[in-house]
Amino acid sequence: MEGGNGEELAVGCVLSLRTTLGDEIEGQIIAYDRPSNILVIQEGSSKAGPRRNIRLLKANYIQDFTYLRKAEDPIDPNKCYIDLAGLQAREEASLRQAEIEAERIGVGVTSEAQSIFDALSKTLPVHWDKTIIVVMNEVRVSSPYLPENVTGGTPAANDRVKKVLDFERKRLQARGPG
Amino acid sequence: MSSQKLMQRMNLQQGRPFANGYSGRRVDTVMGTRTESKTQVRKSASPNFVSTNGTRVGRPASPSRDRLIYVLTCLVGHHVEVHVKNGSIISGIFHATNADEDFEIVLKMAQVIKDGSVKERKSDHDSIKKPQPMVIPARELVQVLAKDVSLGDEFTPGQSCENQKDLMIDSVISHSHHLETERELAPWMPDEDDPECPELENIFDGTFDRKWDQFETNEALFGVKSTFNEELYTTKLERGPQMRDLEKLALKIAREIEGEETQDLHLAEERGFSYHDDFDLDEESRYSAVRREVIGSGLRENENSDMEAYGSGIFAGSLGLVTSESCSDSLSKKNGNEAQASCNETQASSTSSSVVEEAFLHTLADKDLGLSSVDANSELKSDCIAQSSSLDDEIRLDDNQIKDQGGKSRRMAIQDSQTSDDVNMSIKLEEVIISAPLYDPSSSSQGNIITESSDSPVRGKLPAASESVDPPIRQVSSTSYSEYAHAELNRPFSSPSTSCGSLSSEKSTLNPNAKEFKLNPNAKSFTPSSSVRLHAAVPDGSFYQASNVNAVQHMHGLPLGVGVAPSFSHQPVFYNPQAAQIQSPQAYIHPNGPVYGQQMIVGQHPQFYYVQSYPPEMPHKGRKF
Repeated sequence: MEGGNGEELAVGCVLSLRTTLGDEIEGQIIAYDRPSNILVIQEGSSKAGPRRNIRLLKANYIQDFTYLRKAEDPIDPNKCYIDLAGLQAREEASLRQAEIEAERIGVGVTSEAQSIFDALSKTLPVHWDKTIIVVMNEVRVSSPYLPENVTGGTPAANDRVKKVLDFERKRLQARGPG
Repeated sequence: MSSQKLMQRMNLQQGRPFANGYSGRRVDTVMGTRTESKTQVRKSASPNFVSTNGTRVGRPASPSRDRLIYVLTCLVGHHVEVHVKNGSIISGIFHATNADEDFEIVLKMAQVIKDGSVKERKSDHDSIKKPQPMVIPARELVQVLAKDVSLGDEFTPGQSCENQKDLMIDSVISHSHHLETERELAPWMPDEDDPECPELENIFDGTFDRKWDQFETNEALFGVKSTFNEELYTTKLERGPQMRDLEKLALKIAREIEGEETQDLHLAEERGFSYHDDFDLDEESRYSAVRREVIGSGLRENENSDMEAYGSGIFAGSLGLVTSESCSDSLSKKNGNEAQASCNETQASSTSSSVVEEAFLHTLADKDLGLSSVDANSELKSDCIAQSSSLDDEIRLDDNQIKDQGGKSRRMAIQDSQTSDDVNMSIKLEEVIISAPLYDPSSSSQGNIITESSDSPVRGKLPAASESVDPPIRQVSSTSYSEYAHAELNRPFSSPSTSCGSLSSEKSTLNPNAKEFKLNPNAKSFTPSSSVRLHAAVPDGSFYQASNVNAVQHMHGLPLGVGVAPSFSHQPVFYNPQAAQIQSPQAYIHPNGPVYGQQMIVGQHPQFYYVQSYPPEMPHKGRKF
């Protein structure tokens, strides 16, 4: 929606709009940058408190919109502070977290394998070795991750992994396709 | 705030107009190449654009752009989803954007979670790609979604930082990210109304059914044979004609006990007594705080057992003093000849000491004072506990009587204490000592426990303490200590440490012939030119100065500090872990090293060892600790 009415896209307005991709959004305008045609909308957050869901939308994907009402500027320009150090720290923490999570995901493994991995990881220390699940650094479970494919480790550990694997498989089947 | 200011501020903070968390170093190269290689798609500024403040401003300073940049900056490090033109959704951590240009989005650890270009359904053999950094060009960008963003304008910077640090909730810590496929939860209903399962709501309504035997029921239902025999766990009750009387008696005693007034907070609460003084005891002090003995106040919440030990120890220490000094004088006068010397002593000492205690409980209501003297006297503890045990036994018993005799004995004790300087000093010391959190007659039970625990090691030593042979030694040392105390410390209550130290000489291995320590401010500072061996002729028990270079240097730096500090802690302080082996009161002679002998130990305080300057040519004979 190029060249939209400046007034209606003023900060603080509450709009209900529909995008060309089918999303329906209702929120309050925080900013609209005409040159880049990006509209910044804030929607209520699921969590209580000052947190909000922010949406940056390219205005040219707005199919239509309804102007609901005018409200106050959601940001107070006098109080806008950016804590760079905090941001950096947060980014690092998020990256670390994401890396840890990424470790858990096998590359090039089926989602079934991933589910089995997840199930095993609840009670046993597991990590990926290509497409093989390595349990307790000893026992290896290779594709297709059946009890027969459990190899290695002490007999006790091996048995344990077999049992857990069996159990988890049954559980996954009982759940059905999630 | 004008747009100029915001721009300036952001520039200052960021260093460059990149809306990313860094000052743009790492990403610069990426961004640089990217922006150069791309054709810029710009939308021309519409002439209709009216900014919020009503003036038309040029692009670089536009407040709207500033806002956009601000919001994007707040998103750095946040998990976002980017929708792109072909319907795909990419999820990742927002890292940067080129705010100068057209706002393409740089994500880290990004993954395509919904691929709009794949037409067919995902089969089982779909693979998940590893997360990697991704750049979404501006022309592909449809929208960026970020959940639960705190925009930072609600709080002060410090606060917002705090808020952004997510609280470590359990689920975060345990990383239960793998959501299980949710089951449909249904409320539990019993299968049928089983007559054997009583309604849960009514379970407590029924009267106590004495006839129901759980074991019978269990056996009947499940065939489980029980081997439970109640008498294995409790006294066998003789159920006979006397039962009723016994029951009555038991109830009476129980009521008596429960009705007893108590100073203990918890007991009082249980029994329903509203606690007398303070109503401003908050939950913490009532239920969770460590309770410490408070001097002079009526609140005897809960004596810290250590304090108690100190108290009784110090108390006894003072008693020991009193015993030695005034026992033979005033107290023998007062009490005449008792059967045994020790009995005489303990009685006498208990009398006078409790007298003094009483006196000074009143005079020294200062908790801090008392506590500080406790700290000061902490070293007295283990020594003085030696004397305390049997004395305390007496004290316990004679408590009430003592209080009555208070005034009389006090006078006498004090008079006699003035007969000699030493005695005077020791009385003063003991006064101080007693003022330490102590002996609360009403909580004597606790005191008893402590003293009883120290009973055994102490009994053997006490007779030694009571011998009159010792007083001379004690007097000597107390003189020296008192002088030391005056010289060294401003606090009048420092002396107890020394005086009680004198007591310790009987039972500990302190060197009774040690000379008094005199601080020599002109002492040459010791600098080890080579590794010089430090000898500590350990007067033992107390303070061993490690003979390696490091320790020396450390020691040297604070001669006074070292000298003073240990006097407050009776526990032997070992800087050298091997010092514990050295217990003999003689000079420690290293087989290879030079023998320094007693004359090298100048100004040695029995409680610690002060290292004076060493001639630099003393070689270190190589024993490294």
